[in-house]
Amino acid sequence: MIALEGVRVTYRRTVALHGIDLLLLPGVTGLFGPNGSGKSTLLRVLAGLLRPDAGTVTWDGVPLDISDEGFRARVGYAGHGSGLYDRLSVRENLRLFGGLHGVGDARVEEMLGLLGLEGRGDSPAGELSAGLRRRAAVARALLHEPQLLLLDEPYANLDDDGAGSVSDAVMAWRGPGRVGLIATHGAKRVKGYADAAIILQHGRIISYRVRTPAGTPT
Amino acid sequence: MSTVSSPGGRGWAGKTLLLARKDLVIEMRGRDTLPPMLVFSLAVTLLLAFTLPDTSRPGARIVLPAGTASVADVLAGFIWVTVLFAGLVGFARSFEVERREGAIDALLLVPLDRSGLYLAKAITNLMFIVAVELFLFPVFAVLFPIGLGAGVVAIALLVDIGFVAIGTLFAALAAQTRSRELMLPVLAFPVLVPVFIAAVELTSDLFLGRPTRAVVSAGWFGILLAFDLIYMVVGTLAFEFVIE
Repeated sequence: MIALEGVRVTYRRTVALHGIDLLLLPGVTGLFGPNGSGKSTLLRVLAGLLRPDAGTVTWDGVPLDISDEGFRARVGYAGHGSGLYDRLSVRENLRLFGGLHGVGDARVEEMLGLLGLEGRGDSPAGELSAGLRRRAAVARALLHEPQLLLLDEPYANLDDDGAGSVSDAVMAWRGPGRVGLIATHGAKRVKGYADAAIILQHGRIISYRVRTPAGTPT
Repeated sequence: MSTVSSPGGRGWAGKTLLLARKDLVIEMRGRDTLPPMLVFSLAVTLLLAFTLPDTSRPGARIVLPAGTASVADVLAGFIWVTVLFAGLVGFARSFEVERREGAIDALLLVPLDRSGLYLAKAITNLMFIVAVELFLFPVFAVLFPIGLGAGVVAIALLVDIGFVAIGTLFAALAAQTRSRELMLPVLAFPVLVPVFIAAVELTSDLFLGRPTRAVVSAGWFGILLAFDLIYMVVGTLAFEFVIE
């Protein structure tokens, strides 16, 4: 369980997050909102890549700290960029990050298959289309089966098959105690499997609904 | 065939070498960094070859407005200024590959101590500098009357360690600014002054034919060793704060 209390982030004069209070429960939560609503900022705060100006973030009661290797090992993050090296092939990129996370080559091949990238494994990441790069970025974030998964617009530039692969990969990743937050404009893709939905606007949460066991949001 | 492989269960050293290898593979494929360094150092060396009126004897004196200097002093200054600028050209690019596509975010989230990230970049930068020197020193030896013995090689390696230690740290800092290629020399020059003064003094003595043992026992050698040590420790400890 991840708790945010009074998290405030400003970029010079622009307030990106206005004192966010939020409790993220295990499961997948969709994060929706228009451009500039603070979705990416919130994801970066949760990944530890951005320190809030005020407020606290805790994970199971422990303050979130990116300098803690144990924390980093449990986070999977795919931001706006793919996080891949253009001159390495998709497979080399995944093997590199797999090696850094202590994940073997079998898992790399599994992720390539899951994201529908088997035929593209030896293509340089820089030569992939935007959609394929997006899928490779999701594969990288999921590679080490993180406990906290943060995906920023994973459905951007994806066709229906690609979007289906991403959804399948996220659903396969879901498990007890795992927390996922997926920021997207494509609400209908995430709503199909999300356990909760948050709507951000102008850096404030204007709606937070949790799906009940019966399947209806509350 | 895959060049960057990843058998699981690597320790700190294995992960560090994996990252350094990644940088070298990317450079081999892209040739974005080393060729500009080599071209720069060759251009500067050729230009310098036309500036000295008589370099036939390292012990000869050149008359300057402020006094006289030996040819050996001037040549040692030339060679290290060339290495310094060529190095900064390369260091300024060393974090470019991490900035593209946001790879730095993915890298910051791997479970590897920040010292590993630092050392991986430093290893790559050291290899680039050594490659530049392997090219530059023979060219200097052809164009100027200098001898390249084991003493010069040893001094060069020590200079490179201090240069890379601080250059890599400031390259990481400069990479986070908009005018990074301008910022790197501004930040690094003042800090690098002691290392390069020591380098010039020691190399000049060697060019003049002084025995290596006498040169090593001189005060500048101790200063060079001390700054190498300080820079390595500072670089390793400060990198975490700079990169985050």
